[in-house]
Amino acid sequence: MDKASHLGVVLDLSPKQWHLAAQPSNPHPVTLSVFLSHLLAFLNAHIACKDENSLALFGALPGRSAMLYSSTMPVNEEEIEPADANSYRPFKVMDSAIMKHIAEEIEALGEAETEEPIGFVGALTKAMCYINRVTNGAGSTSSAARNDDPAGLADPRILVISVSPDQSSSYIPVMNSIFSAQKLKVTIDVCKIFGGESVFLQQAAHLTGGSYIDIDRPDAVLQYLMMSFLPPPGLRQLMSVPTQDKIDFRAACFCHKNIVDIGFVCSVCLSIFCQPVPVCSTCRTKFPIKTLQRLNASRPNAAPGTPARAATPARAATPAAPANSLPRSTSINPHAVPRNASNGSIGAASPPMHMNGGPR
Amino acid sequence: MPPRRMNDDYMGGGSDSDVSMLDEDEHTSRGKAKGKGKAVEGRKGDKGKSKAKEQPYAWEASYTRSWDTVQEDEAGSIQTAVQDLIARGRRRRLLAPGEAVRRTIIRHLILVLDLSASMMDRDMRPTRFDLMLQYAREFIAEWFDQNPLGQIGMVGMRGGIGERIGEMSGNPQDVLRSISERHKLEPAGEPSLQNAIEMARSSMSHLPTNSSREITIIFGSLTTCDPGNIHDTLDECVKDKIRISMVALAAEMKICRELCVKTGGQFGVALNEGHFKDLLFELIPPPAQRAVARANGPGAANPAADLMMMGFPTRLPVTSHPSLCVCHGELKTEGFLCPRCLAKVCDVPTDCDICGLMIVSSPHLARSYHHLFPVKPYQPIATLDGTPNPSPTCHACSVPFQEKASQPNAPLADGVSPLGRYRCPDCKNDFCTECDVFIHDVLHCCPGCGK
Repeated sequence: MDKASHLGVVLDLSPKQWHLAAQPSNPHPVTLSVFLSHLLAFLNAHIACKDENSLALFGALPGRSAMLYSSTMPVNEEEIEPADANSYRPFKVMDSAIMKHIAEEIEALGEAETEEPIGFVGALTKAMCYINRVTNGAGSTSSAARNDDPAGLADPRILVISVSPDQSSSYIPVMNSIFSAQKLKVTIDVCKIFGGESVFLQQAAHLTGGSYIDIDRPDAVLQYLMMSFLPPPGLRQLMSVPTQDKIDFRAACFCHKNIVDIGFVCSVCLSIFCQPVPVCSTCRTKFPIKTLQRLNASRPNAAPGTPARAATPARAATPAAPANSLPRSTSINPHAVPRNASNGSIGAASPPMHMNGGPR
Repeated sequence: MPPRRMNDDYMGGGSDSDVSMLDEDEHTSRGKAKGKGKAVEGRKGDKGKSKAKEQPYAWEASYTRSWDTVQEDEAGSIQTAVQDLIARGRRRRLLAPGEAVRRTIIRHLILVLDLSASMMDRDMRPTRFDLMLQYAREFIAEWFDQNPLGQIGMVGMRGGIGERIGEMSGNPQDVLRSISERHKLEPAGEPSLQNAIEMARSSMSHLPTNSSREITIIFGSLTTCDPGNIHDTLDECVKDKIRISMVALAAEMKICRELCVKTGGQFGVALNEGHFKDLLFELIPPPAQRAVARANGPGAANPAADLMMMGFPTRLPVTSHPSLCVCHGELKTEGFLCPRCLAKVCDVPTDCDICGLMIVSSPHLARSYHHLFPVKPYQPIATLDGTPNPSPTCHACSVPFQEKASQPNAPLADGVSPLGRYRCPDCKNDFCTECDVFIHDVLHCCPGCGK
């Protein structure tokens, strides 16, 4: 058929989110063990497609990330369960290795660690490093890999299986990973099982030409995996893989890590802020006071009666921020309720900052 | 002499970057000594002369004889030494910028191409002209990749006048299309630096003060045929804060160097094809901005800096209901929604036609963030004595580290770890050479700390 492909899988193993996903109150509850059995069937199918296909599985755990399995990993013969007449041995070896490592990692989680933010960025960047090693990297230094046919290693892709909501603090690292994926021509597919829309992963899939699928029936995930994510990117044009409808190009601001749709951008370093600030926190550039006044006055849906020639920027910002954010966001994005709450609280907290930088 | 031969293979058969590693040294010395030989001859002559242990040319003095530094290992092989050299060359690039510097991000560049008769010389294969076109295309693609908010215009020098080849545009496709038709650019006549610079200058005169203005000239001639005094043009450029950078294909000319030095640009003479590309591509990363604000005292605001309001749109898919766009009034399904007034525009970045909000796609901005938050340089690990439980594998790609040092008693030079281990100062994880380079060059994000 065509060239072998490499599949890197980034698996979100957040215990909290999986617990929530398994709650019987959900319309279609799915437990981690059910999901893993689906995933293993999919991974077996990937290996079965072509003999040279390779695989790497990375787990994102609270506070850290780990490699769970790779095709090049040495196999420990003793740990494998005795052969089973009903299963193909290489699949059996792979499945038991993956399950064992996942169990080990979850066992190793302490009580305190489960609350830490998920190490998704680490897992994604490790997947990128591994692909770099498999495709280009190995060819340039080690002489052993130079003999391999470089064409045989092409077509790498990453499948992200996500159950956690976006962490806005990881905006910059995620974007950096996306751009390096573009550079290495890696396709990023996203399979969202639980946890709401992810703005960053939507952008990741859009920018790298992958597909972002928010799964309606998580208990039937194997169907989605097989139909949408099994064909390598080269074949995707021929098969009509579901595409994204709307792509949200919002970004996270640098000051409060809010996800914003209208931001204030420093012309020197392009840092994004959710409200006009007198000094850029990234490059320490001071902005002209006139601009601040103008921007404060022209903030979207500024409260009527706010004087345009406000004495200080602080005065203008105080009434405007909590009042305006609510109607604006709801009109654009009705389901983004959490954003309103955070915007409001930030707006209320802002005056001291402005006072410091005020023209005195 | 086996090591010698092997090393020649390494130099000859190596990639461009290997060659450039050596050429850079040679090139920096060129600034003082103006001996210009053809690249290939230069190197051959160099090797021949070095045997006789005499240095008839000044430029040979600083030329490092890399084959003298190669040492055989215990097994009599130089494989490790060669790998060491490669690793050293890659690391060298990483050692330079560790701190955040202020860089210009919204760039405006006029690329001036020499289309004079001298570009038909065949000293670079196939001709200087064809090579220039090919590299110019690669340059434009890479430039837009690293400067997504920048704009490029094209000017040609032909028949004693400056010719506008392409208007200033932020779309790489438009710029590439302007130089796609080779027959329209057929070289002829004399070049005129003054005319071309004046034309470039006039097309950038309207730009706002917070953007950078640059001219990059690819110059293949040894003459320029100007209508007036080019030094006046130079003074005007200095006044307008236009940076002129130049890559010469023939030899250094006084006026060329002066143009670059006085305006704060870079000047280089290409030795061979690979070096030409390296010189041109050095101009791609955003230049560090000169500290203007500092001169006015710490309290003074930088007049060039400003806060801009920008909107991040929502993209509508092909499958959505068709509606009229506000920019052309055409019925379209695809488009971007202005976040403030929900008007539909066809393409970003643009200004909303209804409410005037600047609409950019956030990935455009995010592309330059790695300049703001660079990954800290990793520390090379010389010994494992201080580490209680050294990790057996690279933290990023899980490849096992080598057990013993490649050259056990070699000193820790050039920041190369004999163990092939590099440790992040923040998360204290160890990375292999391969990942170290990849993380700092491409990924810009440490897998250990997730930053």
